[in-house]
Formats: sequence, C-alpha cells, structure tokens
Amino acid sequence: MCNLALMAESKTPGFWTKNCEKSGLAAVSTDSIKAAAESIGISQLPDQVSVRLANETTFRIKEIFQDSLKFCNHRKSRKLSCQDIDNALKSKNIEPLYGFVSKDFIPFRFSSGGGRELHFVEEKELDLNDIINAPLPKITYDVAIKAHWLAIEGVQPSIPENPAPEKQFSIDILKKGESKEPKTGIKALKSCHVQNNNPLISAKKPDSSSTSLVSLKPQFTHELSVEQQLYYKEITEAAVGSSEARRAEALQSLATDPGLAQMLPRFSTFVSEGVRVNVVQNNLALLIYLMRMVKALMDNPTLNLEKYLHEMIPAMMTCVVSRQLCTRPDVDNHWALRDYAARLMAQICRSFSTSTNLIQSRITGTFCKCLHDDKSSLAARYGSVAGLAELGPNVIQSLALPRLRVEGDRIKNILESPLLNAIDRTAAEHLRGLLVKHCGHVIKGLRQPPDLSEDYSNEYGYLGPLICQHITKLREQEAHKSRLLASAGLNRPAMGIGSRPSLMSTGSSSSQQNSSLSSSPNLDHQFSLNSNPSSVGASSRMTFYGSNSKTSMFDGS
Amino acid sequence: MAELQHFSGAGSVETVNYSSTLSSTEQDLSSQDSSQVPEAASAEVEVHDSSDITEETSGPIKLVAEKDQKTLFAVLQFLRKNNLGETVNALEQEAEKAGVKLKGDPASGSQLSTDEVSSLLSAYSNEADPSSYEDNYRLLQQCIETSLDAHKCELAQLSYPVFIHMYLVLIYNHHETKAKSFFHRFSGVLEDFHQDDLSQLSAVTMKSQMEGNNFIFSLRSNKYVVRISQDSNDMLKRYLEEKNKPLVQDIIQSHITLDVFEGLPRTRTQIKASAGGLCGEARQDENKVKVFYGLLKEPDIDIPLEDDDDLDDSQDGSSKSKKRKKKEFLSKKNKADPNAPALTRIPLPEIKDADKLEKINIAKESLKRVRLGGMERVAPSVCCYTFTNAFGTVTAVDISDDSSLLAAGFQDSHIRVWSLTPRTLRTVKSAAELSLLDKEGDDIFERMMDDCTGVESKTLFGHSGTVYALSISPCRTLLVSSSEDGTVRLWSLLTWTNLVVYKGHVWPVWGTQFGPHGHYFVSCGQDKVARLWVTDHHQPVRMFAGHLSDVDCVAFHHNSNYIATGSSDRSVRVWDVLNGNCVRVFTGHKKPVLCLAWSPDGKYLASAGVDTDILIWDIATKVMVGMFKGHTAAVETLAFSRDGEVLASGGLDNTVKVWDFQQVIWDIDTDDIGMQRGHATITDHNYLLSDFPTKESPIFHLHFTRRNLLLSVASFLNPS
Repeated sequence: MCNLALMAESKTPGFWTKNCEKSGLAAVSTDSIKAAAESIGISQLPDQVSVRLANETTFRIKEIFQDSLKFCNHRKSRKLSCQDIDNALKSKNIEPLYGFVSKDFIPFRFSSGGGRELHFVEEKELDLNDIINAPLPKITYDVAIKAHWLAIEGVQPSIPENPAPEKQFSIDILKKGESKEPKTGIKALKSCHVQNNNPLISAKKPDSSSTSLVSLKPQFTHELSVEQQLYYKEITEAAVGSSEARRAEALQSLATDPGLAQMLPRFSTFVSEGVRVNVVQNNLALLIYLMRMVKALMDNPTLNLEKYLHEMIPAMMTCVVSRQLCTRPDVDNHWALRDYAARLMAQICRSFSTSTNLIQSRITGTFCKCLHDDKSSLAARYGSVAGLAELGPNVIQSLALPRLRVEGDRIKNILESPLLNAIDRTAAEHLRGLLVKHCGHVIKGLRQPPDLSEDYSNEYGYLGPLICQHITKLREQEAHKSRLLASAGLNRPAMGIGSRPSLMSTGSSSSQQNSSLSSSPNLDHQFSLNSNPSSVGASSRMTFYGSNSKTSMFDGS
Repeated sequence: MAELQHFSGAGSVETVNYSSTLSSTEQDLSSQDSSQVPEAASAEVEVHDSSDITEETSGPIKLVAEKDQKTLFAVLQFLRKNNLGETVNALEQEAEKAGVKLKGDPASGSQLSTDEVSSLLSAYSNEADPSSYEDNYRLLQQCIETSLDAHKCELAQLSYPVFIHMYLVLIYNHHETKAKSFFHRFSGVLEDFHQDDLSQLSAVTMKSQMEGNNFIFSLRSNKYVVRISQDSNDMLKRYLEEKNKPLVQDIIQSHITLDVFEGLPRTRTQIKASAGGLCGEARQDENKVKVFYGLLKEPDIDIPLEDDDDLDDSQDGSSKSKKRKKKEFLSKKNKADPNAPALTRIPLPEIKDADKLEKINIAKESLKRVRLGGMERVAPSVCCYTFTNAFGTVTAVDISDDSSLLAAGFQDSHIRVWSLTPRTLRTVKSAAELSLLDKEGDDIFERMMDDCTGVESKTLFGHSGTVYALSISPCRTLLVSSSEDGTVRLWSLLTWTNLVVYKGHVWPVWGTQFGPHGHYFVSCGQDKVARLWVTDHHQPVRMFAGHLSDVDCVAFHHNSNYIATGSSDRSVRVWDVLNGNCVRVFTGHKKPVLCLAWSPDGKYLASAGVDTDILIWDIATKVMVGMFKGHTAAVETLAFSRDGEVLASGGLDNTVKVWDFQQVIWDIDTDDIGMQRGHATITDHNYLLSDFPTKESPIFHLHFTRRNLLLSVASFLNPS
C-alpha cells in the first residue's frame, strides 16, 4: 500500500504543489512499485512495467491530490486531511480508504536492507479486547458560540478573546501616520503616557506630545481595553469624588475584584501623583481618600503590590511625616491621617519586608531621621512616633525611649514658651499624648510597681510624671479586669485581652496583624458617613467585561 | 402553480426542457450503481462538452444549425452508450418538437459523434520533427524580446498558451522525453501565476493520461483567448510570416483566439490584472449584452413616518433631521432606476403581510444606521461569534438577513441553527393542536408555535457528507443546504425537519444561496454547472453551464434577475436568470474564486478566493475597477455594508479587513479610454480602512446588520 503511504505524506496543500512546481520530481519510484508488487506476490516485475506503473501511479496520485485540494478549500481549511483525499477518491468513483483517520501527522519509518530502502507506516496489531475494555474516552465538549467584540468603532479591545496588542504594535505604529489619533475623552488615555492618565493633575500635557512619546518608545506600555479605561475612569472618579456611597462601592470593587492586575500600575501612579499634588495643596480630604484606596488595593487578595512599592511607600510616607497636611493644622484632624498611613506602612512592612529589600529597616530609618532632626516640625515628629509605634513595642523601646527625655524637653519648651500659638499647642499636646501612650505601654513592661512619679521624672524628664500616671492607670485597669475575670471564673491571660483593643498588645505577629486589620474599620467610620460593605452588587456592575470572565477555551489547553 | 407556468412561458420553452433533459441524464447517472463506474467517470466531461457547446450558441437553442445537430447526435450517442433509453426517448421527442430530424440514419449519427470526439484530440497529431519545437519556441521568445517595449507585454501573453499546446503536441505524438526536456527548459520563464496549471500539466507525461483528464480536456476543447491590440497583432503576423515557422503559426491558428482591439496596447499592469483564467481572458463579444443591474422598484408600502421610539428621547432638532432623512430615504427608494429590469421580468412571489411588516422593520432599522467610511474614515464595530470546541469541523455558516439566526454546517454532515437574540427557537405545534386554533386571529403566527419547545439551538440531521454551504431564506422559515453527498436540501425552520431533497448535481455541491425575494435558490458544484431551483419543484428550472471547472460559489443579484458564479477556472460569470445565458465573463483571479458579493446598488460585484486578492467588477462598463491586496491566505467571505460604503473581507489568515469601497468608486475615472475598451483600470492606492486580527480563528462568514454593525463568525482552532 505504498501509494497510500505516499498519499498521506503530504501534510499541507502548499507542500505538495511547491514540490511539484519546483522540480516536478515528486514521483513514485520504481523501487516502491517493485516493493508493492512483491507484497502482493509478484516477485519479478520487469523494469519496463515498473517504470510504466510508477509513471502512471504518480500521475493518478497527483490527480487525486489536485482534487482533494478542492475539498480542502471548501472545508475552509489550510490543512489537507485524510477526509479530503477520501472525498476526492469518492468523486472519482474509487472506494475511499476506510479506517485511515490519522488526524495530523503520520510517522513514517525508514528501513533498509539488501540494498533497498523503504519508508513505511508501522501498523501495530491491536487486541480487540484491549479496545473494548479500555475506559471510555472523555466526552468532548459540545460546540458552542461565544460572542465578543472584535472591534469597537475600529479599536480592538484587549480582551482574552483578541490577540495580544503587543503583536499589533508594529502595525499600529505604521498606521499612525494615516489614521487620526483620537484626541479627546477616555480614548486619549489609551495612547497617553501613564502620567497623563491622572485626572488629579490639573495641568495636563498636551496630547500631541504624548502621542509622539509613544511612537518613539520602542516598547509599548500596557494598552488598556476600552472597558478597562472606563472602569479606571469610574473608579478613580468615585474614589476621590464627593459621594461617599460611590466611594464605598469603588473601594469595595478595588478590594475584591480579581481582574485588576493589569491596571495596578495605573492605580499606583494615580495614588503617588495624587499625593504629590495634594500635599502641596494641603488637601487633607483627598489624601485620606487616596490612602483608603491604597488600603483597598492592599486588601485585594489577587493583587501583589510589591512591584509598585517604590511609588506607594513614598506616597504613604509623605502622609505620615509631612510637615503640613491640611490648611488649618490647629483645627483639622490630620493626626488621624498620620495614624492611618502609619498603620498602612506597618502593614506593608509585615507583608513585604524581607532580608534582601530591607523595607522595614529603611522605613524605621526614615522615621528616626525625622525624629532626630532638630528642625523637623512637631507634626512630623508625631508622624514618626506613630509610624514607629505601629511597627511594634520593640521598635519603640529601642528607638523612641532613648529620645523620650529630649522630646519631653522640647514639648515643655514649646508649651511653656510665651509665644505659644494654637497650632503648636495642639501639636505638642498630640505628640505628648502619643509618646505617653506608646512609651508608657512599653515602660510598663520594663518596670515593676510601685510607680513613683519622681523616679519616672528622673529617668524620662518632663514626660516622666505623665507616663507614671498613665502606667498606674493601666495597671489599675488590668488588675480590675483580672479581678472581674477571676470572679467570673474565667482566668484568662492578659495577653488574650490585649489582642482586641489593638496597639496595646505585645503578642505575636499574627495578633498584631489581626489588630491592625480590626482597627481599620474604626478609621473608616471616622471618615465615611455611610460605608456600607454590602454594595457588592453595585461593584460587580462595575466589573468590566473580560476581567474576570475566565474563558477556558482561550487558555489554550 | 400559475406563477411558475408563467415563468417557464416567459423564458424559451426549449431551454427549459433541454436543461431538464440534461439534468435527468445526470440523475440517471447518479442512480446507477458502481458497475457503471468507468463510463461515469468519463461521462462528466462529455456531458459538459455538450452543454458547453449549447452555451456557445448563446440564447434560446434553435436546433437548426448543423453544428447543433451534430451536438445532438453526440449527446444521443453518449446516452445510448450508457443505456439511458428513457432519456434518449425524451430527447428525441424534444428534438422533433423543435423540428429537427433525428431519425435519419443512426449509424451515420454515431459515426459523426465519434469523429467529433476524436477530432478534438487529433488536432494535436503532427508529423513535425520533435526537436524543432524547442527552436520554434525560442524564436517566439526572441520575437517577444526584440519587439518594442509597448508591444512586449502584449506579445508575452502568447508564451504561455503556445508553451502548453506545444507540450501537449509533443506528448500526444509520444515524444515523452522531448516533452520533458521542453518543459524543464521553458517552464521557468513563464509568469508565476501559471505555476498551478503548469504543475498539473507536468503531471501528464503520456498520451494515455491526456484522456479523461479534466484539465487537459478544458485546454483542448477551448481556444485560449489572448487579447491583443491591432498593432501588436500586425507585428506578430509579419514576424511569423517572415521567419516562416509553421509550428508556432499552426498552434496560434488552431488553439488560440486572438481577440484584437483598436487603440493603444495595454500596459503590463492591465494585462496582469486580467490574466490568469484557465483559458485566457474573456472575449469582448461575450460581455456585450446589456445587464439590468438596477434595483427593483420597491412596492408601495405605507411606512409610518412617525417613529414612536425616536420621538420620546430625541430633541426637536434631531427629530426634524430624522424626518428629513427619512423622506430622502423614501424618495430614493421610490425613484425608478433606469437600469432596473421590469418588475415582471422574472416572476416574483407575491408580497404578503408579513413581508410588508418586514420591509417596515428594515426601513426603521436603516434610519438608525451608522454611516461607515466616508471622509472621517469611520471604522465599523465588529462583533465576533467564535465557535469553540469545534476543532475546525465547521464548514459553512450563514446569518439571516435580520441577524437573528445563525446556521452552521459541519464536516460530519449535521447542521445547527442558533438564535442570536433572546428569542428561543420554537417548533410549531402538532396538527391536532393547530386545528383548534383560530386561524383568523392576528396572533396566529405567534400562537401556532409551541412555547415549551423553545431552545437556544436546534440540530438538523439529513446530509451524508460535509455541508459546504447554507442559506437562510429572507422569511427566516426555510434553510437550504448543500453537501458533499451531491444533494441540496430544503429545511423548515418551523418544524425543524427536512422538506425536500433536490437531487441533480452528481458531484459535491459547493455553494447554494437563496434569492433576495425568496422562492428561488441557486446551487453550484463540482459538475461545473450552477442550477436555479424554485422551492416547490424538485427539478431545476435553469442550468447555467459554461464554466470550465468546478463552480465554487454563487451569489444572487439583489433584483433576483441575475446570478454570479465563481469558479476554479478562475473566472467569474454573471448569468441571466430569465434565459440562462451567460452575460458577463470576468477573468483576473489567479486561483479558484471562493466568495462573491454584490454591492447594495447592484452595480458592482466583488470576488475573492484562494489567490487572496479581492477584485471589484463593474457590471455596466464590464471592467475590473478595483483590486484589494492585503490578505495572506484564502479569502472565504465578503460583505458589503448596508449602504455600500465599505467592503469587509475575512479569511483563513485570521483577520477581518475593512476596505473603503466608496473611495474606489470615487476614484474611477469614467472618461478613461482604456476603460471604454474594457481594460482593467486599477490603481495601487491602499484602500484598507482597518484590519482586525483574531486569535487563531479563521473567519468563515461576515454579515452587516441593518444598522451596519459587522458580525463575523470565526472558528477557534486549538493550537495544540
């Protein structure tokens, strides 16, 4: 059946014709004819006959192939299949080759011996029992139709169903000359350089410059689909807008949507640019909103912020230690922002700090630098202490306690100075409270009662007596609680209680994480009038097409 | 049915009957068992030989000319040989009616026909010295090379036909080795696009192989047409006489038709654009008939001017502009087109209430249409329906005109219909239930459907071979499909069953399409014939024979009066439904034509195929007016936007491309002298508007909705 073998040899339509036109040499050899003759019992085939037969066979096979190409064309396929050849044979009134159903490629085996060379298909004997007893193959999936946008007004959205935009990049660049670039609205976002995406930046660069920027860049930045651009626009507007309800929805979406990884760089830039601009403008509310965005992004289990920390950390750091964060420092509660950002910072440290990136040591270094700098303002000092405190009592013990006397003196000087203004007073009082609260907690563990005001004063300076009072109060509370518990028959260790009202705990890192998480809603409530976490429905409405509609078929099994 | 009788009365009686006789011949053939195999294989060519000749006589066949009589004898001879007694009788009766004496001397008749058949081949017998062919051919080449630049390209057209016929002469006279060396020596210098044919030719290495080969038969039974200017023709003649080379002269005389035209020689681009046909270009006289390409006058339907939906949400200004737009729209439709055929030229089905409703819907939808292309180069939105888990088994797709149904044919011979709207597909109620319904009720069409049967997709089983084409009727209740098993089937989309099996094509049926007014549909196939059917007759009412190879695709003109066919002989033909004549032949494709599309105004025809170029033909001026290059694999589908502004194409290179068709029309220079002579007038402008690649999914079908949203149907090929 060597003509069978030869027939099956051609895999693509192009293959055969190419060979023919190039040399016209593709032909059945006389040896093949002789081998075929032997296989059916004719041993001595005259040369003349075999030449004639080879010639004829070649012609017939070529004819059949030309016909089968037609069937291939009409099957709308580029690949010739066995069925095309069957159909061609059928149309010539020749019985098709039954059971020849190799799907793709037929492995030929080569063999030589006795001065002859042979290519043949290995046909193994199969045991029918094996086939019958074999487990049933999996049922194939039913044919289905899936609709998606191939293009929306001439622009291809980048969704899993469409080819990756990178592939098209060269075409886009080539076409740029003739096709007009959309200049307005969200379309501009697509082609703009990342920085221009930020609606918070009032002075936008002109678009023309940004397009030229793109065409010069050899590598294309991530191109967002139209839906993603819309989503980005909606989310950023809602997150910094005036409607608290919408903000809650947006943050909920940021914290839960699984398909945001592609847009994370945009959000990261949005936050960092937003902080940059709003710190200058002392826009406290916007800074708070931005920090809440950071919190939402951090809470999203599908996102990994690690790649964007270089943008995030400076922004957060700014919100902790900036000299001024609001227009009226005496009235506005910028302390809460500092506390909140410090808590986020601590969370970042816990999540991402490793022995190689040394995030924690770099952050504490920054705080210490601020604390040690004589020129830094009280607000900045407050931020540093808050930041250090969030990192744990050990940090306070080793970095803040030594400074306690110095800071106490500074506060004393300010409070007792004749030129005292309201701003300084609130700042000093806040700092004092913070130091007393955190240091007191640490000192309580270091010292044993009795707590004498003089001792404290000697050791810690101006703040000593206050700390002493604080510790006495703490100890009383503790004793009262343990008494209560004991009376209730529930003698729990103090640590267990300490884990709940956060910050007070000296426990393990897990309880700390717990505390920081549990404490955040308080702050959310502080800012939000209506932070209703049950707006999942609304946020899912915002979920854009393609982000989380994972399609099994396009994953290319 | 009165209508149909009127129809056959309108045409010429002879044609219809003659055609039906031919078709019954083939049916007999198909019904014969395999004992007839060898005859049947050779039968194909001869049947078509006869039909070719009838085609040449053009028009209603009047069996008076001697040539026709010979043809008839040949047909009879063939029929007798194959024991088709019934058909012989039928044909004889027909012939007698037409006043031809057949019963003369059967022996002489048979003698005549065998002569006829063998004479075709014997034209090649030649006693000349085989080695002189090479010299002769080289001389011809010299003649081409030494001629003036202006004539060089024109004369170069001769090198291919002379080459193939010289080769065939050598083969016929048993000079196999000479033929081989001749082939290797000269095949390299021929144009690239001949390579396919040359490879077919090179396969033929013995005289015995020449018989029964379709390709060789087409070559030898048809003269190769070369269009050449008067000057070049004179030059050629002078040269041949001078050199006294009878071999070349003989071949030109016996196998080549020189179609001479006045005026300047054509340029190389012009020649190349229209070259590529299996037997050269179309002769000028083949395209002479006037074609009524205009659209039929729309019947007067009172389209409600006030559109409630629009008024609710639109401002005063815009609604005014809408009204104006509507008025323009209406006036345009109602103006009589001077190029339109008479409404009664082809009998069309009466317009029912449902059709009127449909027309109103179309008018309403078209007001909301997006204007594509134009100065702003508006690119369309494309919605892609992708088949998943199909693994390349989808072979045919069609979407109904209102974009509500999608039908797909599969390699394993079943058909599936999907609903693209939230409306599910329902089956009609049983007869018992139907009889209880009030048939006069307004909502009878709604109530006769059984709501319980609503599903998203339905499967139709019936074919026994790959389904190659599908078409949903304009009324959306019928589906016609054609298949590898040689049948065309009509399905009801109300009962979801097979209604009729149309047997007539003997070999695979490549294409089928419903007419724009319903009732009629056409099919075409490997038997080189396109057939026109009406849904209520199981016999074809017209057969369109003339293509030299498979008819691969077919498209109905919007006025139902014409059909266009594309073929593997690389030509596109337009046929008149009224009398079955071929009214236009266009050559220019270099490989088989796979898809066709008429522009919405009916004036232009777009065709594309395996050679990846999309060609635009002007029906009125009979020339090629555009060529879109850009696809990298076979183009499988073409679609004009509803207002004819853009043309969309898609194919196996996994892209949808949109072309600025209107620009092409604007760029046509109607005063161009070459155009008036029928030369291809194409520019090398890039008309590509946009290009949308898909993810490994070849495009099978494109369809513009009435609002000009482009729907594309693709099949995802798993790369593994």
